[in-house]
Amino acid sequence: MTAVGKLVAVQARRTLREPAAAFFMVAFAPLFALLMGLVFGNEPQAEFGDRGYIDANLASFPAIVLAIVSFVLVPIDIVSQRESGALRRFRATPLRPVGYIAADVLVRFAISLLSIAAMFALGMLVFGARPAGDLASVLLAAVLGVLAFLAVGYALAAVMPSQGTAQAFGNVLVYPLIILSGAAVPTAVLPEGVRQVAQFSPLTQLVELLRGLWAGQPWAENWVPLVVLLGVLGAATAVAARFFRWE
Amino acid sequence: MTTAISCANVSKRYGDVRAVDGVSFEVHEGEIFGMIGPNGAGKTTLIECVEGLRERDGGTVEVFGMDPERHTRAIRERTGIQLQSAALPQRIRVGEALDLFAAFYRRSTDWRSLLARLGLEGKARSYVERLSGGERQRVFIALALVNAPELVFLDELTTGLDPQARLAIWDVIRDIRDGGTTVFLTTHFMEEAERLCDRVALVDHGRIVALDTVPGLIASLGAENSMSFTLDGAVPAERLKAVDGVTKVEQVDGRVVIHGNGARFPHGALSVLAEDGLWAQDLRTRQPTLEDVFLALTGRELREGEAG
Ligand SMILES: Nc1ncnc2c1ncn2[C@@H]1O[C@H](COP(=O)(O)OP(=O)(O)OP(=O)(O)O)[C@@H](O)[C@H]1O
Ligand SMILES: [Mg+2]
Repeated sequence: MTAVGKLVAVQARRTLREPAAAFFMVAFAPLFALLMGLVFGNEPQAEFGDRGYIDANLASFPAIVLAIVSFVLVPIDIVSQRESGALRRFRATPLRPVGYIAADVLVRFAISLLSIAAMFALGMLVFGARPAGDLASVLLAAVLGVLAFLAVGYALAAVMPSQGTAQAFGNVLVYPLIILSGAAVPTAVLPEGVRQVAQFSPLTQLVELLRGLWAGQPWAENWVPLVVLLGVLGAATAVAARFFRWE
Repeated sequence: MTTAISCANVSKRYGDVRAVDGVSFEVHEGEIFGMIGPNGAGKTTLIECVEGLRERDGGTVEVFGMDPERHTRAIRERTGIQLQSAALPQRIRVGEALDLFAAFYRRSTDWRSLLARLGLEGKARSYVERLSGGERQRVFIALALVNAPELVFLDELTTGLDPQARLAIWDVIRDIRDGGTTVFLTTHFMEEAERLCDRVALVDHGRIVALDTVPGLIASLGAENSMSFTLDGAVPAERLKAVDGVTKVEQVDGRVVIHGNGARFPHGALSVLAEDGLWAQDLRTRQPTLEDVFLALTGRELREGEAG
């Protein structure tokens, strides 16, 4: 096996052995959907345009997972590995930095996507949720979301000076962003001014894109969130590449 | 003799601290070359400049004739590195780590037998972070050897190891030297330098103050061996002085001290006492050590500030 292949295998096992991380990365999304479905059911309700709670909201749940992964889990893991000297040990081998990062990204990408796919499967099989639009488009948008927000995670890891700062910053930021995004509570309950501010959050844009495609809107109607997410992907990748440090 | 490492005028500063201050030396292929010096002498800074892990401010470094800052990857393939303080990501098993690092190199050895040689058989499935300090140290030595390097850098090889493990590691290092690997190490332990290293550089304040074989360094001091004891009875000073090799006999704090050259004069002195029916009590002998060389050259103790 190649070095990167081995590294992927080790990183995957390592991630799954970390109970908190494994839970968030694989099981959190489907469990969250299950919990919400059990609490709210999926009977048609007037406030969701005669659709059920799960039908109306399932598509936005990935944003919650991605927020936690990118603002909390990735920066803390990478910064703590930098602080412990683990990254430096890799630097003392012929392994190329890009090889290390590629393996890390690949593992997190696969786990996040698996989790999101499991969540959609659960919503559809257990609660009978059905996209009005094309499921493949929704999943494609989810892939874009995973890439953009993983990049944000690496960018944060690159600029955070210490694990403590990364932890504080992530925890302070993640909950407001989730609430503003409308993934957890409907944006309708937010005051008008707050709702307008919320539009500037990429997480809100991801939720809009996922919901829009799930509801059957064409991509063309969702060009704003699409451009925002592509922009975030580009900018965060640039920041990560420019500022990533091994020690 | 071929040169594995050659350094000329290497320097590295941190603010006002000249951590490495114009150092020049060569390491020959197939030798165990050691740097010894007190805390903060600049050993780690120097070895890491040679490894290409730190950027030097000035001077030239060549490893296999290449600059480690420019031909980093080519040199990494052929070298192994043990860092003074190292870590691995959490939740990696020993065997996984060895297997992974072996995959980073084009050439690698059988890491299982490497673990066995380092006394870590049976630990392959343990998590690295759950090992004892000494076991973890040996894992990092194994990682430095996993590519069967032509040159291995060992920064504080046996720190944290118990005396028995230390002896075993010395054997491993001698074995790999005998197999053709060049060893460049740093140490705090005089005994390690004396017993393991073919040549030793004494480092102080970022400079190499002396460089030679251990016997060469000690001989350069021109210091004598000595023996001392207490005696119940008259000291036969004149006859002791006449013993072959003895240069001086004195009495200090109630003890008889005999200075001399070579290793034979103590036997001669004891026979003289035996002839008079006298018994040397609380007998001690003393040979000059690297410690004395260091003290003579720098006015400082090698062990200054060292815990334990
Ligand atoms: N990254 C750094 N930033 C600032 N100063 C440093 C840095 N690294 C080393 N120094 C300073 O350079 C000097 C040499 O340090 P170095 O670690 O090379 O010593 P050493 O001989 O390896 O010591 P020890 O035996 O304790 O390992 C010390 O005064 C140290 O404080
Ligand atoms: Mg050091």
